[in-house]
Amino acid sequence: MRFFPVLLFALLFTGCTMFSTTAAEEEPELDYPNPDSEISRLLDGYRPFLYREMGRPVAVAKDTLRFNKPESTLGNIVSDALRIRGANELGRQVHIGVIGDSSFRLFFKPGPITVGDIYEFMPYENNLVILTLTGEKIIELVQQNASLGGAPISGVRYTITPEGTARGILVNAEVVDPERHYRVATTSWAANGGDLFPALWEPVERKDLEISVRHIYVDYFGSLKEIYDVTDGRIRR
Amino acid sequence: MISRKEFLKQASLFSAGSFLIGPIAGLNSKSDISPAVTILYTNDTHARLDPFPSNAREFAGLGGIAQRASLVKKIRSQNKNVLLLDAGDVFQGTPWFDVYGGSVDLKLMTEMNYDAMTIGNHEFDRGPDGFAEAARKAGFPILASNYFVRETPLNPFVQRQLVREIDGFRIGIFGLGIRLQGVVDRGLYGDVRYFDPIQVSQRMVQSLRIHNHCDYVICLSHLGYSYNDDKIDDLKLAKQVEGIDLIIGGHTHTFLDAPVSVENSSGSKTVITQMGHSGIRLGRVDVSLSDSSETPEIYSRYYTVGRQE
Repeated sequence: MRFFPVLLFALLFTGCTMFSTTAAEEEPELDYPNPDSEISRLLDGYRPFLYREMGRPVAVAKDTLRFNKPESTLGNIVSDALRIRGANELGRQVHIGVIGDSSFRLFFKPGPITVGDIYEFMPYENNLVILTLTGEKIIELVQQNASLGGAPISGVRYTITPEGTARGILVNAEVVDPERHYRVATTSWAANGGDLFPALWEPVERKDLEISVRHIYVDYFGSLKEIYDVTDGRIRR
Repeated sequence: MISRKEFLKQASLFSAGSFLIGPIAGLNSKSDISPAVTILYTNDTHARLDPFPSNAREFAGLGGIAQRASLVKKIRSQNKNVLLLDAGDVFQGTPWFDVYGGSVDLKLMTEMNYDAMTIGNHEFDRGPDGFAEAARKAGFPILASNYFVRETPLNPFVQRQLVREIDGFRIGIFGLGIRLQGVVDRGLYGDVRYFDPIQVSQRMVQSLRIHNHCDYVICLSHLGYSYNDDKIDDLKLAKQVEGIDLIIGGHTHTFLDAPVSVENSSGSKTVITQMGHSGIRLGRVDVSLSDSSETPEIYSRYYTVGRQE
């Protein structure tokens, strides 16, 4: 199950509303965020093996890397990785990579990025899926992307109008032909109806590859080695 | 002047919310005692043993099992009768799970004296064998009343219900898991069979109240708080089954700032609560039975664990 951050911190901070007559007994405690020493000690005992497994550095963030709208360094990386790996696996062109950004838990500060960081960045076990979609569905997909104010997408360039719709949509530097078929790399989660991209839900063809998306990111970040905060203008306003 | 960061820091320390519900009508009426039981609970902790790191997109600095443990210890020092419960999905979410498969979580929950948990769908992420291997570290019962596990390696670790007597006040606890089909890969849940939560709950309530003479019945549910379709959820369960006093829910990661009270056809009430996910909050329900009232009163609140960054 995915995380639904229904929590509003604004509410939380004022969440001491008392409906009770026992106000005098009410917490707050001042000391409970401090870790319990016994549990900390036990947990620390498990860390060396955790770090041996997960501490291997794969890349270095040279800047702070974030998800942003309409496009962002991390948004571009996570969608590029799917498209490029998909093409490598199939041995033929994959036109588009797409994934929702709500699955991702971290941004990166400058410094080394380890395997463990990637696993925490993308905590879900999903596999790579290649969908074949009509050009008509591709346009629908890009319009959904635009309605979000821009979301991670690879292989597509477009402009968001002030009304929030996409115009000037190019795939592989060409105008989309509604009749043609295009290949889209995404995750099993998105293909199964997560991420809320309905344009993906009725593909002409679906190919499930037994490749973990987390492993794809470990490999792809590794191939980038040093990562700067650079975008390429694929989504403009 | 206080800086914004300082304000946020302090605010998180003071963010215990609280609500009074009650009196709650039970099916039973008995007892001349005035017990007080404090129920502490979590759900969907998802391997969040360490607090969210400072580069988390949300919740940086919050959560952490050692932080939760210190809070639980504090509450135990102030209250004699404490139950500590979890509504499932302890597994999956951080590298801790990738490396240790949930065994560290269950070991530390045992050290904290958890009394019981139910099974979440992510408990099957490494199949019944992976779950069973980690479950050997659990020194508390895993309650799953609507999963039939006899043909699986989980059998030694799973039971259908638990009765705790505290100062003569009998508390019955049972657990409900979500329909696995469509949520967990077929190959991962193996021979675990799912049964209808409504029918199972009716039998559990009857067993706990009538045969085990329980005064208070708690359901640890991993069904999810609310769905728009016909799928069973905690709200529908509370509406359709009478005799459950408290549903501690999970799966949908719902942050209920206040518990929700649902009245069912017989007029009895069930209180539903859920604490979001990742151990960001620890929930607390104090149950008391006053001399004047024959129905338990509850007082509900939550604590935010960790330090907002």
